[in-house]
Amino acid sequence: MLSSGKMNRIYDSVEPRVIDDDMLKLAVGEQGPQEEAGQLAKQEGILFKDVLSLQLDFQNILRIDNLWQFESLQKLQLDNNIIERIEGLENLTQLVWLDLSFNNIKVIEGLDTLVNLEDLSLFNNRISKIDSLDTLVKLQVLSLGNNQIDNMMNIIYLRQFKCLRTLSLSGNPITQAEDYKMFICAHLPDLMYLDFRRIDDHMKDLAEMKYQYTIDELKHREHLRQAQLQEEQAQIMKLEEYKMAFVENLNGSFLFDSMYAEDMEGNKLSCLPIVGELLEVYKDKFVIICLNIFEYGLKQHEKRKLELDTFTECVQEAIQENQEQGKLRIARFEEKHLLNLSAIREESELLAIEKKIVECSEDITELFNVLMTLELQLVEQLEETINMFERNITDMVGLFIENVQSLMAQCRELENHHHEKLLEISIGTLEKIIKGELDEELPDDVRTFFADKDTIVNAVGASHDMHLLKIDNREDELVTRINSWCTHLVDKIHKDEVMRNRKRVKEINQYIDHLQSELDNLECGDMD
Amino acid sequence: MEVLREKVEEEEAAEREEAAERAERMEKTRPVEVQKEETILTQEMLRDLEKKLSEIKIPIPAGTPVITEDTIDVSNLPLSYKTNTPKEEHLLQVADNFSRQYSHLCPDRVPLFLHPLNECEVPKFVSTTIRPTLMPYPDLYNWDGCANFVSDFLTKVPLPDPLKPPSHLYSSTTVLKQQKGNCFDFSTLLCSMLLGAGYDAYCVNGYGSQALCNMDLTREVCPLTVKPKETVKTKEKAQPKKYTIKPPRDLTSRFEQQQEIKKQKEAKAQKEKQQREEEERLLEAEKAKPDPLHGLRVHCWVLVLSGKREVPESFFIDPFTGRSYSSQDDHFLGIESLWNHRNYWINMQDCWNCCKDLVFDLGDPVRWEYMLLGTDKPQLSLMEEEDEGLNDDDDIEDLGKETEDKSFDMPSSWVEQITISPEAFETRCPNGKKVLQYRRARLEKWAPYLNSNGLVCRLTTYEDLECTKILEVKEWYQNREDTLELKHINNSSGLHTDYFRPGHPQALRVHVYKTMQPENDRIMEFYETARVDGLIKREETPRTMTEYYQGRPDFLSYRHINFGPRVKKLTSASTESNPRPMTKITERFSRNPAKPADEDVAERVFLIADERIQLRYHCRDDYITASKREFLQRSEVDSKGNKIIMTSDMCISFEVEPMEHTKKLLYQYETMMHLKNEEKLSKHQAWESELEVLEILKLREEEEEAHTLNISIYDTKRNEKSKEYREAMERVMHEEHLRQVEAQLDYLAPFLAQLPPGEKLTRMQAVHLKDECLSDFKQRLIDKANLIQARFEKENQELQKQQQWYQENQVTLTPEDEDLYLSYCSQAMFRIRILEQRLNRHKELAPLKYLALEEKLYKDPRLAEFLKVLA
Repeated sequence: MLSSGKMNRIYDSVEPRVIDDDMLKLAVGEQGPQEEAGQLAKQEGILFKDVLSLQLDFQNILRIDNLWQFESLQKLQLDNNIIERIEGLENLTQLVWLDLSFNNIKVIEGLDTLVNLEDLSLFNNRISKIDSLDTLVKLQVLSLGNNQIDNMMNIIYLRQFKCLRTLSLSGNPITQAEDYKMFICAHLPDLMYLDFRRIDDHMKDLAEMKYQYTIDELKHREHLRQAQLQEEQAQIMKLEEYKMAFVENLNGSFLFDSMYAEDMEGNKLSCLPIVGELLEVYKDKFVIICLNIFEYGLKQHEKRKLELDTFTECVQEAIQENQEQGKLRIARFEEKHLLNLSAIREESELLAIEKKIVECSEDITELFNVLMTLELQLVEQLEETINMFERNITDMVGLFIENVQSLMAQCRELENHHHEKLLEISIGTLEKIIKGELDEELPDDVRTFFADKDTIVNAVGASHDMHLLKIDNREDELVTRINSWCTHLVDKIHKDEVMRNRKRVKEINQYIDHLQSELDNLECGDMD
Repeated sequence: MEVLREKVEEEEAAEREEAAERAERMEKTRPVEVQKEETILTQEMLRDLEKKLSEIKIPIPAGTPVITEDTIDVSNLPLSYKTNTPKEEHLLQVADNFSRQYSHLCPDRVPLFLHPLNECEVPKFVSTTIRPTLMPYPDLYNWDGCANFVSDFLTKVPLPDPLKPPSHLYSSTTVLKQQKGNCFDFSTLLCSMLLGAGYDAYCVNGYGSQALCNMDLTREVCPLTVKPKETVKTKEKAQPKKYTIKPPRDLTSRFEQQQEIKKQKEAKAQKEKQQREEEERLLEAEKAKPDPLHGLRVHCWVLVLSGKREVPESFFIDPFTGRSYSSQDDHFLGIESLWNHRNYWINMQDCWNCCKDLVFDLGDPVRWEYMLLGTDKPQLSLMEEEDEGLNDDDDIEDLGKETEDKSFDMPSSWVEQITISPEAFETRCPNGKKVLQYRRARLEKWAPYLNSNGLVCRLTTYEDLECTKILEVKEWYQNREDTLELKHINNSSGLHTDYFRPGHPQALRVHVYKTMQPENDRIMEFYETARVDGLIKREETPRTMTEYYQGRPDFLSYRHINFGPRVKKLTSASTESNPRPMTKITERFSRNPAKPADEDVAERVFLIADERIQLRYHCRDDYITASKREFLQRSEVDSKGNKIIMTSDMCISFEVEPMEHTKKLLYQYETMMHLKNEEKLSKHQAWESELEVLEILKLREEEEEAHTLNISIYDTKRNEKSKEYREAMERVMHEEHLRQVEAQLDYLAPFLAQLPPGEKLTRMQAVHLKDECLSDFKQRLIDKANLIQARFEKENQELQKQQQWYQENQVTLTPEDEDLYLSYCSQAMFRIRILEQRLNRHKELAPLKYLALEEKLYKDPRLAEFLKVLA
């Protein structure tokens, strides 16, 4: 700290600066190509986005700014300035090497987007906590010497960097700790160099022995966390897959439960005698149908996937073959064309030259025709195939919807059946109540239903309607989604094909134009 | 066996009566059969043959032994060779009985080959001559290895009578010692080895074709010349998938196509016909004359039945050639009997159609009559019941015998264990050399290390049947230090092809050349993994050099160099200092997946003469055109006299997807500078390649001249170095031993012997002993000194005498005499000097030696306690 203080004092006399355009231009110019290339560079100017490496040291910079244009910068040196905050580096995503040593930085921040960073130097700053480096997974060298890190727990934070090989922490309060070295060696077993010295194997073994228990515990915890994460991931993946098959949440009683979730009347009525059992049976049957739908949906999903895969494969094959043919034609043409061109160059007689040039341009035209024919042929073939696919996939989707609807109808039937039974029981109960024959005591809120026949019928009806609505909603959702998927897919295929065609035609035209202009140039040259 | 006996017993009475008749019948049936086969035979010959055949009564074949003429040292053979054990005697009786019954039942068949004599003139049953042995060599674990070894190791001796089985069958040990034998010896040995290796093998006594019996391969195609059939990859036409695009409509005329196909077919048929006729004509010419003894030549070979050792199908092995034949082969004309070490079977099937219809189900007693009961083969027993009633009384008589027979096992082999020494195994052929003549080919084999250049096999193929015009020569080598494996010389094209095993110092794999002169047509292939630069192949013509690479970090896969005519220099310089100028270098690169396609150069051409560089980039995935760039390297000067660094017309480029940064002059300038550097490097590499070719050629020549052979460090016999080392070690050991003996020499022994044995030494005696020993030693030393002194004086006197004589006769001496005298003088002087030295040395050492002995005596454990007290 002392030395840095001294350093900074020298620059204190100069005014603190902010990185601006002029400074950048100057630096780029100075550090750009030299000699002949330099002349050319001066002539043309260098764009900031092409610069790969930039050095801005000893400039008394206080604030980083104006660096957003350096998109492809890989190496940036900002050492020996008076920077206090890391900022303005968000755009430099290609950065591999960042030097911020000998500054006045207090907190590590603003590095989240620099995912390619391998070498980071924050030597001689005022950092007290290692933090905010999580995204820098490629980090290999980390220099944090001469800072104010004083907590060993910072080391554990560094365990997540699997590529980290070199670490320097000398000059931090942490190094005063008795077992500082041992601790680091034990907790960062992949580390090769600590404070500019190689860690020998003996040291590693010792450290490992010393901290075996804590490390094991740490590992265990990490492992658990990892496993949990993976499980969650897997679950999400599965749900995603079911969603793709449009039958998510049908592999259980989810739909049934949702039917009763908002159904006050139904829930209350379930405490009637016999209704509980009835409900159990109903649920079982209902769930079985749901499972049927689910399995059928997965099967259909597989089928659709297979169909789509076959289709893409075939289309790719066709395109590939067409491309090969095109390449072959072009290669053959180029071979001949090169010979022709050199013949023209060597020919001295004007008439002969003209004749040959005409021949050449005929060749070019022929090539154009051949390539275009190939392309048109492919377009025709693909169109036919695409149409066929469209028909098939639409049919498939139609069939799926039909079957699902019939299964849903079964659900509804069940519901109707249940409704009738419930109604029967309710009316029976009502009669019993009226007659005063009812043995069991009913809760008060249930008893209110049995005021008269209309009320109970209405209540049961409302429950029934609610259930039907849920079923309908689920069905509608499924149908809409699969239909929109189908339309999207077909649209995309058509669009892709059009794009491909346009691209190829453009490519051919471009190539032919190039050939023609080459020939014209030759002509002009000869005319001169 | 039982079936047979019962039948026989039934007929026994009738047999006696019919004895005379039978002879007649035999005479009748035989000629008919022979006539069927050989209609050309005259009547006289027939009679002759009848007579000859009718003479054969007892199945022991009598014939003049041929091999016995070579002296076989019988004396050293073990007892089992010279005598028969009672069990064997019994077996012979059984066999005789069996043979009698057989000849009775099948009078029209030739007698059985059951117990020929062995080398000690003792009859031995054929099955006991087989001694199953597993050889300790891994090469001899499979049938083909065994068969090839037997065919190589033994020299073929023809049968004494080609129409009869031999009278003698030697043990395999004798055969191996002699390294020669007839087909029966071959088969017995091979069968022993195969049975030892676990095969279900049998010796077969039968009839073979002339070529087979005489080991005549001139009509056979050499197996080495047969090219392995190219497995025609039937490209499975991928089942057209559901969405495979339909091919574009074919707009050509069907009719025209058909006509065209028709025409082609006709032409092809015509051609094929011609070819076939040609082939037939050739075949006709090659066909052998019909053999008058077809079907009568006795041969013995080996049958391997399926089942054991994963043999899928039964097959024959001809022991002479070691080749396998299918059991349907035309060469095998019939089978009489077959046997292994357990049992003996007679073929009861008809052999009218060679061996093609034979069924090798040895458990079927209708097809195969077995001799001993109780084998491991499945048995069919249907006939027994029928005959039971008829043979009641005979049964009682034969009961004892039969039960004995039933339990009778084949005695173990009388032959000693078959051993092949490693030397014999390595030498293989007798004298390590063997020549085989095939159809239009000649194969020579040598044992390894026999030829100093490592040649082990040479195959010469000829154009014509008479073997006069050489077509090509193939030579196989082994153990060469330059790892040369095969040399192939094609006489018609003059191409030499050398094949190398991995391990050549230059990683050479194949070298194809016409001459060893550099800058000629040549192809070198390399083991690319052994080379740093990943070179696979280098092709050369006088004007070009093409190199193919693989697995390089810079993705270079191909380099082609065109050379211009060599510029004549005034100073006479060697090839190295005056390389041919390069006019063009073409380099191709495979795709580098780390770079985008239109920055990854696919091909770059340095037109050195034109000062141009052409680049072609890789094609992007979904494109059909590739970017190109061409640089002109002209250094021009603009109007102001400044050097033009880079102008836009110096770089012509076509870009599939135009990019911004490539338009910049700076980019182009940097690319060009880079390319200029690369050009220099490429040129240098081309030059190095040329140098390497020269180096390889030089190395090859040296290797050809030296042709040193590699000797494995485990080969203790040939490895001179290790031998020397071993001998040195032995010598050291020997010397050490001598020294030890000397150290143990007992000085006191002669003196102790004077004392009465068994008594303990007294002190006086000990002291006396010591003194005596010392004085004796002193005397010896003095004696020795005296002896030297005496000799010295004698020499001196002699010399003086000679000098005197010389001085007296000096005048009359011839120069020769003078020379003689002078040489004598110098020698005598030398001797005197030596004697003097020895004397002096002795004088010097004697006291020391004396002291040493004294010391030793003091320390001697026998005297120590007494002398210590004294001291």
